[in-house]
Amino acid sequence: MKKTTVGLVALAAALAAAGVQAGEIRIGATMRMISENGQKYGQMMQDEFDAINAAGGINGHTISLSLLNDECKSDKGVANANKFAYQENVHLIIGSTCSSVTLPIVDVTAQAEVPQIIPHSTNDQITRKNSAWVFRVPISARYYKGVVAKYLADNVGTRIAYVYASDAAAQSETQGIIGQMRDIYGVEPIYEAQTQEKEIDFRSHLLKIRELEPDAIYFGGLAEPIARFLVQSYEVGIPASVTRAASSAASNAPVPKLAGDAVKGVFFSAAYSDSDTRPIAQLFNSLVREKYDIPSVDHDFSQAYDLVRIVEIALGNAELSLEDDDLAADRTAIRDAIANVQGYEGLSSGPISFCADPTPQCRDGNRTPVLIQYTKGGEDFEVGILDRVTMPIDFGL
Amino acid sequence: MRKLAGAAAQLFGQSKSTSRLLPWILAFLILLPLPQLTANNYQIYLLNFICIMIILATGLNIVKGFCGQVTVGHVALYAIGAYTSAVLSVNFGMPFWICLPAAVLAAASAGLLVGIPSFRLEGAYLALATLAFAQAVEVFIRVTNYLGSASGIGGIRPPSIFGYTLRNYDDYYLLVMPVMLVAVYASYALLRSATGRAFMAVREDPLTAAATGINVKRYKLIAFVISAIYAGVAGSLYAHMLPGYVHPNNFTVIEMVTVLLMVVLGGIGNIWGGVIGAIIVTIIADLTRDFYFYQLLAFGLVIVGTVLFMPKGIGGIIDRYFATRRFVAAREATAERKRTEVEETE
Repeated sequence: MKKTTVGLVALAAALAAAGVQAGEIRIGATMRMISENGQKYGQMMQDEFDAINAAGGINGHTISLSLLNDECKSDKGVANANKFAYQENVHLIIGSTCSSVTLPIVDVTAQAEVPQIIPHSTNDQITRKNSAWVFRVPISARYYKGVVAKYLADNVGTRIAYVYASDAAAQSETQGIIGQMRDIYGVEPIYEAQTQEKEIDFRSHLLKIRELEPDAIYFGGLAEPIARFLVQSYEVGIPASVTRAASSAASNAPVPKLAGDAVKGVFFSAAYSDSDTRPIAQLFNSLVREKYDIPSVDHDFSQAYDLVRIVEIALGNAELSLEDDDLAADRTAIRDAIANVQGYEGLSSGPISFCADPTPQCRDGNRTPVLIQYTKGGEDFEVGILDRVTMPIDFGL
Repeated sequence: MRKLAGAAAQLFGQSKSTSRLLPWILAFLILLPLPQLTANNYQIYLLNFICIMIILATGLNIVKGFCGQVTVGHVALYAIGAYTSAVLSVNFGMPFWICLPAAVLAAASAGLLVGIPSFRLEGAYLALATLAFAQAVEVFIRVTNYLGSASGIGGIRPPSIFGYTLRNYDDYYLLVMPVMLVAVYASYALLRSATGRAFMAVREDPLTAAATGINVKRYKLIAFVISAIYAGVAGSLYAHMLPGYVHPNNFTVIEMVTVLLMVVLGGIGNIWGGVIGAIIVTIIADLTRDFYFYQLLAFGLVIVGTVLFMPKGIGGIIDRYFATRRFVAAREATAERKRTEVEETE
């Protein structure tokens, strides 16, 4: 019995040791990988880190990426982050896709003192927690809502109806725009409603909105609900002259495909446009289309790509010993190296810069939302850029 | 002489209760140093989570296993406990020691409401009614700004004991583990009490139970309320554990299926069912984290497989093993006695 126990303990120790190898940079990523695109964002990160390894790694060190699904559930995200921080002893945590998962993870990484870099979450509360260990690659909701509110008020009108889905990002973006319209232009919504989870028929809202004769209707939500909302807005007879705007998820590929012609004229703000004419963007678009069988490249792809590049730069600049005893020092070095990333220009709509203060001003890296409008719907849709606005660093705080 | 007998009975009674508590005290002493034996903080986090799941699953086992009421709304009571604690802690600055009883009270009140349909509904119909309740609670939280809606509620303060705040997972274990043991002990004591026997009578045949004088409605309600108390405790403990964050996504049908799996796999109606199931399912869920695509499929298959081939769960197999051993021992003792009698006669 005693021998068996000793054997089991030895086996457990061997297994634990096998999972952690000195000399490699360990990164843990927790993301929402329950949708087809979600899996592909994760796959792209894995492929990019593999490519770095194939090219000789970073300063001779290979990167080991551990990728876990959090299903957009905070308890799973927290468990993943704890596993990365304490069991896999990672040097850096990437995550998450959903704001509602990223929010609690910030507390875990702050306590464990592990640098965390965010690929997709936009909720402004994330960086307002003032954690010294958190960096955000995507544009914060505080910038998105500001640019949409300004465009609506200056170019469309102020009689606006809002409908939004029950996810955290949609709620945050929509409430933010309503707040901006109220604070800056003194305008109240003519209609405001939140849909229920998995609700697919928005016609009761749209019929009421039609009677109110709005200048614009705004829908905050994920890709599929946005597409349904747009189609149904024409079904109930809201004329094309009423401007349709949507949250940043409208950039996701399924929207024009599902909405067809109903997507024409719809505008949204995002961190990347498929119609970006820069050579790097064209190259990236063709790579993603070919490799991941994606008809249109949305900003979640570009943000995942930019994140890998920023991590590559930071790791290249960090002095790492990668010995187990120096884990805390290596984590601090990586955090400081990310904080020193300045003016990174990759695929993102504007330069990404971080700094050492644990404030939103220093940790919301990209503050240049781009306003995009669909000019054609369907499989072979087209988009155009309306505007690219770099917001003041303190905006929305 | 009578006084002496009374004193002896009292003494016997005391020693009986002491011996009844001894295994639990031993269990406490064995479980106490467990965090020190684990390899890292993540495993302590898992220990805490297992303890919370044990409380939740044990509560479900009371209403479903002991009393036979098919409820799938247990996760809503868990959510009510968690959100009551969260709101009181964040919006009113209440300490954990007020949040916990308030969460229990709120969950118990909701349990009372959920129990009322059981007067008229049974089986799949009761399951549907409780499922609707669970969905309604989830949607209500999701659309109510005061409850954090889709953003959840963060910043729930950890408990403090005599000024010492349980900020770390190993500290939190010192709270959650004893609570879990008390909860399991209470369930154990309940099953052996008159109330527990009434529950089982209701489960086996409500008509016969009513004919023997058992107030079926009353006992159904008691089962729902006790079960809700467990859910309230589990919810409150979950809400206050680091990082102190609750979100409606954590209280969906998937979580309900997971808790159901714990009870089914551990053994419906078995005292240890919830405990065994919570431990196994939480550990397996963690070990199979890398195979997330197949996790829910595997859980579903395990439920179906258990119901088909192991209807009493793992707890039932363990019970049968010990019952067989007792039977064999008794049979051998009888045979031995008869042999001795024959030899003496000869």
